[in-house]
Amino acid sequence: MKKLLALLLSLTMVVSMAACTKKEDPATNNNNNSSNNNSGATATTAPTAAPKKVTLNVTTTYAGNDGNAQNYQDAVAAWEKASGNKVNDSSSTSDETFKARVLADFETGSEPDVLFFFNGVDSNSFVQAGKVVSIDEIRQSYPDYASNMKDGMLGASPADGKNYSVPVNGYWEGMFVNKEVCKAAGVEIPDANTTWDQFLETCQKIKDAGYAPIAVSLATVPHYWFEFAIYNYTSSTTHSKLPGSASDAQGQAWVNGLNDIKMLYEKGYFPENTLTGTDDETVQLFIDNKAAFLIDGSWKVGGIEGLTSNIENFTVTYIPGKNQRKTTDIIGGLSSGYYITKKAWDDPDKRAAAVEFITYMTSDEMVSKFANVSATALKNGSSVDESQLSNLAKDGLALVKGATGMTGAVQDLIPTECRVPVFDGMPNLVTGKSDITESVQSVLDLIAAQ
Amino acid sequence: MHFLWPYFKRGETMTAHIYKNKKPIIFFLAPAFAFIIIFLYYPFIQNIINSFQEISGLGSSAKGWADPWYSNYVKLVKDENMWIALKNTLIMLLVTVFGQVGIALLLSILTDRISHGAKFFRVVYFFPIVISATALGLLFNLIFLYDKGMINQLREIFGATELVDFKSKAYALITMMIPVMWQYVGFYFIILVTGLNNISTELYEAAAIDGATPFQQVKFISLPLLQNVISTCVILAVTGSLKVFDLPWTMFPKGLPNGETWLTGTYMYYQVFNANNVDYSSAIAVVIVILGVILSKLVNSIFKEKEF
Amino acid sequence: MKTTTVKNKRKISLGQPIIFLLLSIWALTTIYPIIWVVLNSFKDRRFILSNSFKLPIGDIFTLDNYELAFNRVNILSAYKNSLIISTTVAAVVILLAGLASYVLVRYEFRLKKLLYSLVIAGMMFPAFSTIIPVFRMEHSWGIVNTDNLYLSLLSCALPQIAGNLSFAIVVLMGYIKSLPIELEEAAYMEGCNIFQIFFRVIVPLTKPSFATVAIFSFLWSYNDLFTQMFFLRTKTQWGITILLNLLTSQEGTNYGLMASAVTLVVIPLLILYIFLQKYIIKGMTAGAVKG
Repeated sequence: MKKLLALLLSLTMVVSMAACTKKEDPATNNNNNSSNNNSGATATTAPTAAPKKVTLNVTTTYAGNDGNAQNYQDAVAAWEKASGNKVNDSSSTSDETFKARVLADFETGSEPDVLFFFNGVDSNSFVQAGKVVSIDEIRQSYPDYASNMKDGMLGASPADGKNYSVPVNGYWEGMFVNKEVCKAAGVEIPDANTTWDQFLETCQKIKDAGYAPIAVSLATVPHYWFEFAIYNYTSSTTHSKLPGSASDAQGQAWVNGLNDIKMLYEKGYFPENTLTGTDDETVQLFIDNKAAFLIDGSWKVGGIEGLTSNIENFTVTYIPGKNQRKTTDIIGGLSSGYYITKKAWDDPDKRAAAVEFITYMTSDEMVSKFANVSATALKNGSSVDESQLSNLAKDGLALVKGATGMTGAVQDLIPTECRVPVFDGMPNLVTGKSDITESVQSVLDLIAAQ
Repeated sequence: MHFLWPYFKRGETMTAHIYKNKKPIIFFLAPAFAFIIIFLYYPFIQNIINSFQEISGLGSSAKGWADPWYSNYVKLVKDENMWIALKNTLIMLLVTVFGQVGIALLLSILTDRISHGAKFFRVVYFFPIVISATALGLLFNLIFLYDKGMINQLREIFGATELVDFKSKAYALITMMIPVMWQYVGFYFIILVTGLNNISTELYEAAAIDGATPFQQVKFISLPLLQNVISTCVILAVTGSLKVFDLPWTMFPKGLPNGETWLTGTYMYYQVFNANNVDYSSAIAVVIVILGVILSKLVNSIFKEKEF
Repeated sequence: MKTTTVKNKRKISLGQPIIFLLLSIWALTTIYPIIWVVLNSFKDRRFILSNSFKLPIGDIFTLDNYELAFNRVNILSAYKNSLIISTTVAAVVILLAGLASYVLVRYEFRLKKLLYSLVIAGMMFPAFSTIIPVFRMEHSWGIVNTDNLYLSLLSCALPQIAGNLSFAIVVLMGYIKSLPIELEEAAYMEGCNIFQIFFRVIVPLTKPSFATVAIFSFLWSYNDLFTQMFFLRTKTQWGITILLNLLTSQEGTNYGLMASAVTLVVIPLLILYIFLQKYIIKGMTAGAVKG
């Protein structure tokens, strides 16, 4: 059996090698990728004789542990049934390998027909290469495309400011609170009226009572604190803008914000192992009633529900603000959306199917189901059945409803490779090993070099 | 078979005779090297080119040549983290060679000398290699955890009052290297046990007849006949320590704390998947490969000279 | 006569009990983690970090992780895919590496040193640095991202074969070097040609070595999540290791599911290993008889 297998394989190998030498040397067509995609899978799977029914290749991030993985599978099955088309789904959990795979697909011309992917800087390369179709272009043929969404919230591409993708579920960021710790330390749970100075007093009391005030792993996930600390020196209209230099007004906001994080660190408001522990470990402190506050995204509602046996012990509220920023100004947005690739658009059979699929997946009803407590771009707003929700989730909905201002995260404008000095360098900043102004400047220099 | 003991060197004249006709060589080498060249060398040449270019995300195309073209290598020499990584990797290398291969050698010789249960030990020593690094990383994180970790709980039972942060600067390297060392002992153990199995039992019998003690048998039969396999293990250990990343990465992502625990493997991984510096990590890869080849040559020459 | 000498070999100055003690201490360190993983696979994710060293009884016990794992992936087809890929990889690797290492050990020729260096260097190439060009190349051959299951499995196996060849050649060279050349000489005298010497003398004598190399090639191919992520995309193509990749999300890592996934991933590996163990021992006796 084994010998047979080996023989078979060496045979196939010889055949595939022969095929290789016949074609042009792959080394020569490294960079021109779109020209030569006749051998792609999609061409062979689309039955050209029957123009109506097609197989759409779809890639999304709704897989694995994602809260919507099941919703997505159900929706796909329902659409297949209703439309008679097939979906060839290659969704995967979103991680760095997945991103690399998607980019490599675009590079080689084997991209899917429909892609649900990030609309921030991660999408720049295929947007700039013209491999996805803009909403404006789609609307020339399908005027009603994404008409149920607020255009201003679709998530314009940072590359050229045009809309390419249709978002589904968004996110907001808030401060999760462990009620028991607050009670034990004898402090009020912060609310919409709590100021930054009151928050600092609260933290001191919690610390004196022997608890860690703020659960965060500065070493691995300083992202949320970066965002809100800076937000405290900007406002919901000015926050999502990159500074020109570390010395201009926006740059100063960054420096001041980072100095606040350093101050919190020096006062000992973070856990002892904030510079050595991982995010999982610090979140666990919060769950285990050892830390009072945790800033995180709306996805953590589900995370906390999964981690605790007593969900009533947790609530979520606004992060206390100062200066221009009101406490009720939040950060949120829609960071991913459905793209139609140029490849599918240029295929007359697939064009209609792709539009139909996305329209189905982004209907009011479907978006409400996927978004649950998170933000949406729906004109009519999402309708959520509140009776199904935990109290924590309801607190989350109330948080969004009570928000006085919302802005996207400024870090979404910073390419990953440029974040290093401030994000991965955060331990150095709070311990004084690196200078904050210099580090902000080197982030900006890296962006400028792009 | 008695003529094999004491073990004597190969008959050189005879070798020359059998293996004088060199025509068949190509049939033996071609398939393997075709694979290696097509799937390793062709891509790696691309990697070398990448190290002179500007590339951000893995999978995206190059933005052009670096300016100046060798700038990644200049950066590498000046990069403080890279030097930390090299220093730590050197320590790791010594730990792997003496710890992993040493313990594995001891265990394999001991298992070879017992009459019962050898099978059992061979199976259980294999366990750590099959468990994914994510799971082992979690286990060791929980053992060394600052708050409520296994060791800190044990210390409490024995009267300690202060928690120890085993991931802090003072302990980080030890906390990282013990699990890595432990995990791969089984790997070298199996390679060495196989080597011992290749040695004919009759050699030991003959030696015993001549009155050799078990200790002498190990010294004069097992070790000399295992020399080539030990040398293989040391080469694997050297190359392995240069590229190890998975378990250290799950326990000490991003060189925690404060970049104290970088290894060449983890630093290269970080540059690709976290810092999106594909060009720079390609340069690190080139350096790792060059170091690996040089060190392997060194190992080979040491083992060639050394006679047991 | 023979029996007494065999007994003699078994005796060592330290004494059997001490040897057993030493071996058992190490065995404890290797058995415990796997038991820990299996026990935690029966706990809800809520209790993994807080009660990780307790037994899964009472409230803590759950079968949900396995239910979830079975729902997420079609386990049987994933096992099948993984087995096809990894068996192919292991079989091709030992065959090709066996041929190459034999020649590299026994022959003296001009390029020998260079080829050996190529092999050593090949061991060090990180997967991420080779994957994109391999992906492009296989795409141009039309075997990537197709509907055909077996083409997808092949596209995953090919780079894995190459990736394991270097290691296999280095290890097999070490074993073959240790073989006494007299047996080959005897075969040569009897008129065997070089291929016959390889298949009738070298292979039987080093069977355990081939089994060992096969085990590791299989293991690395099986655990190689990164390559699988690139080449196996749809649910029908997934290998079992993909389960491990489905555990992280922004909600946090589901450690309970992870423990069950590790258990599911590890079981076939252990079965295979115990099965191949027999060959390692058989190889030994066969070798002794021939010698």
